[in-house]
Formats: sequence, C-alpha cells, structure tokens
Amino acid sequence: MANPTPQARSQHRGGEVRRFGSARGWQIACWIALAAVFSACPANQLNAQTQPDEEVTPVPLLTGSTGFITTFNGGQPDFHPIITPLVLLPIGRRWVFETRATFETDLAQVPGRSGYHGGPVQKEVEYAQLDFIANPYMTVTVGRFLTPFGIFNERLYPVWIRNLQTDPLILPIGIGPSNASTGAMIRGGFKASPKFNINYTAYFSALSTVTPVNSDRFAGGRAGIFVPAARLEIGGSFQHGLQDTRSNAFGFHAIWQPPALPLDLRTEYARSVTGSGYWAEAAYRLSQIPFHQNEFRRTQVAARMQQYFVGENAGLALRPVNEKLFECGLNYYFIDGLKVSSNYGRQFSAAGNGNIWTMALTYRFVIPLGRTGRE
Amino acid sequence: MGRRYSLAFLLAVMAGLAFSAIAQERANSTSATAGAAPAAAQGNATVPTATHRTTVTKSAPDAAEERALRVEGEKRFRTNCGRCHQAPPKFPSRVMATAIRHMRVRAMITDEDMRFILRYMTQ
Repeated sequence: MANPTPQARSQHRGGEVRRFGSARGWQIACWIALAAVFSACPANQLNAQTQPDEEVTPVPLLTGSTGFITTFNGGQPDFHPIITPLVLLPIGRRWVFETRATFETDLAQVPGRSGYHGGPVQKEVEYAQLDFIANPYMTVTVGRFLTPFGIFNERLYPVWIRNLQTDPLILPIGIGPSNASTGAMIRGGFKASPKFNINYTAYFSALSTVTPVNSDRFAGGRAGIFVPAARLEIGGSFQHGLQDTRSNAFGFHAIWQPPALPLDLRTEYARSVTGSGYWAEAAYRLSQIPFHQNEFRRTQVAARMQQYFVGENAGLALRPVNEKLFECGLNYYFIDGLKVSSNYGRQFSAAGNGNIWTMALTYRFVIPLGRTGRE
Repeated sequence: MGRRYSLAFLLAVMAGLAFSAIAQERANSTSATAGAAPAAAQGNATVPTATHRTTVTKSAPDAAEERALRVEGEKRFRTNCGRCHQAPPKFPSRVMATAIRHMRVRAMITDEDMRFILRYMTQ
C-alpha cells in the first residue's frame, strides 16, 4: 500500500492530548443520545410500515475478503497477503452487530537467506459496532466505527472493491489514527424529493490510546445528495478536532456513473492542517466492445490522478513533501468477487520520482452461519 | 461556546431534515393509498412507490406489477449498489436480508430502495 500503516499514521499525531474530562464532550454525547431518542419516537408512530426486513429472517454471516498484493515501489518488492473477515450478526428486526478485522503481513527478502520471509502478522479490529435502525431515516451506531470522512475509508477500502489497489494519498485526512472512531454516530438516508435522496451522518469520537484501537477525540459529519436518475452523488464532510490544536478538516466528494456508459467516475478533496489534496478516478468496463464479449465484459480499465500538498502544520504532515501520483490499471473479473488487478503508477515528488507497479489477486467470500432457506 | 452551538445547530438541522422527510413520506403514503400512485419504472411499466411495503408484504401482485417491481428493483440495485462495487450475484434470501441490512447502514440506502432491492434479490 502506498500509505503508511495505521501505526505509522498515528505517529504523526503525537503531542499533547487533552483528556476527555471536560463537560463539553459529554454535552455532545448527550446531543447525540437526544437525537437518538427523538428518532425512535416516529418509529413507533409509523408502526408496521417501518419494519426493516419484512418476512425474511436474516442469518448471521461471515464474509469479507482476502488478497495477495504484490508491489514494486522504486524496484523494491513487497508481497502483502491480507485477509479481512467481516462478521454480521443481525439481532431481532432492528439491530445488527458488525465487526471487521484485518490480518496482514509483509513478505520480504532477508539478507543471507533465500526466498521471502514474513514478518509479524499485524492484527487489527477495524471496527466493531452495534447498529440500531431507529426508523426508516435514522440508524444509531455505537462502538468503534469507520470514520465517515469522505468516501474511500467507509465505502471503497476493502481490496475487493477498490479499482486500484493503492490507497489515495489523502486517505489519512480526517479518519483518525487507526481509520476508526470510538463513540457514537447517527446516520441515514431518505428520499427528500422524487428526484433526489439525502444521506447524512454525524458522529462523536472519544480519545482512546489503546493501540491498535486508538482514536482521536473529534466530532464531525458528512452529508450527500444522490440523484438516482443521473446516478450522481455529491457531498461534503466536516470534522472538528477536540484535542491538540483543535483544528478543523473538511472535504468534498462526488461519484458519477453516467447511465449510458459502464463508467465510474469518483473524486474526493480533503483539507486539514496535516495536508490537503485530491484524487480523481475513472474506471471503464469494456462491455461495449462488440467482439470477445465474454472476455471484455469482465475487463475494466482504471486510472487515477492525485496530488498531495503539505499542510500548514508541517510537523503533523502525512508526508514530508508535496507529491503527485498518476496510476492506471487493468482489472479482470473471473467471477463476482474474484479478480486480478494490475496497475502502474508514476510518482512525482521533491524527494524523488519513481515507478510503482502493483499486482493483486483478490477474493470476496460469503459464508452463512446458519440455514439459508426462506423462513 | 460557539462550537457547542454549532454542533447543536448541526444536530438540530439534521433532526429537522429527518422530521420533514417523515412528514413528506406520510403525505406521500396517504395520497398514494387513496389513489393509485404508480411511478414509471421503465417505459410504460409502473410500480408502486412509497407504499410498496404494503404491496410487497401484504398482497400478491399480479404479473404486470410483479414484472414492474422486478424491473424497478433491478434498477435500484444497479443504481445504489453499483456506486461502489460490482453487482454481486443473487444470494439466498436470508443471506441477502443480512447483507441488505448491513448495506443499509454502510451505504445509507433509503428504506424504500432497500425494500425494492431486497425483493429483487430474493425473488
């Protein structure tokens, strides 16, 4: 991966940390709790119409992804096996517990020994959250959850989903030291008019210094407008730090899939005191090519341009110098969930230019933990 | 002090949005229940809108309505799920019910979309 590990990212956030002792944090938590209480009231009034899952009883699932990612960065090989299991445990008609963990290691050549040898396996609980579907418009989440800043961390991070295997340079902005928050969140999506939907989330994260589930103390939100007819979503994120420099971070995102083309366009911009930047990505399925359709409909070409700028607080900067990275790649889907990816990237920075080659084989698995027939 | 009020304001706006949407949804439900409120799914195909829950769970739709529901379900499936990942295959009903509940939270799919997609993916 192009970005530092979560542990490395957390090192950028050193310094004095204010303790979670002031009344302000509790007041924010109370506001979220109040919103949750209010949100539950209309649920009772809407009665049976709001039952989330109709007559089908959901079954617990073990799902997730696994991958083997090979990167040559400046000629240095890096073999990176990763497995990311996700457990989904629906409880009753309104609750779901979900947790995702990551087990990964790096295989490297050791001087004096032949072959590649693995280092210690990094284990991390990415999130463990309890969701309560309060009503059709609001879900309340408590626990450790992926910080909803921008779109990549929450939606596009798993290796089987992303079109290019490297992380965007700006990914660490706004998502906390371990990509996750510890606290509470309200979120939801609803049809605001016949032409567009609104989705929103507001969250509060408390300070946690327990590695690897550390998190910063901040509050923030994200909102987006989705126009189904145009398949266009635009939105913005905001976050206010409640420790250290108490700085703000904000960002914008957009996703567009032109209805007439098998094309995905995504872009994101983020800014904080640690740095700023953007990425823009396009991915096109070759399904419109009239010959060898069985092969071409499984093939996707992707390209991404991104830039990172060192922030005003250079001591906390994610990277030491400004950087520009262009990547292009090819994905081939054998079956749903099983794909092979290859991409090439050219990195331009004051610290030196270089090539990044990546190849990956990723697989998404779904294992029911119970009977799957209709009940 | 100012930040506290800002956060309170943010939450109040979101609560207001949620309640306005609830009110609008109720109004739509009432009008659609009183008369037919079909929406064009594709061409001249029609599907029930916000009141489809009742249709989906309580009564057996006829063939044309069934087809319209399926078309609308597929459209919403591709529109919503395709934003982030490739279209998965159909899973067994109970698996899909879990997955859709997860995605409802993760991708903030609307209640209406969730029901259409679940129906499409489990038929």
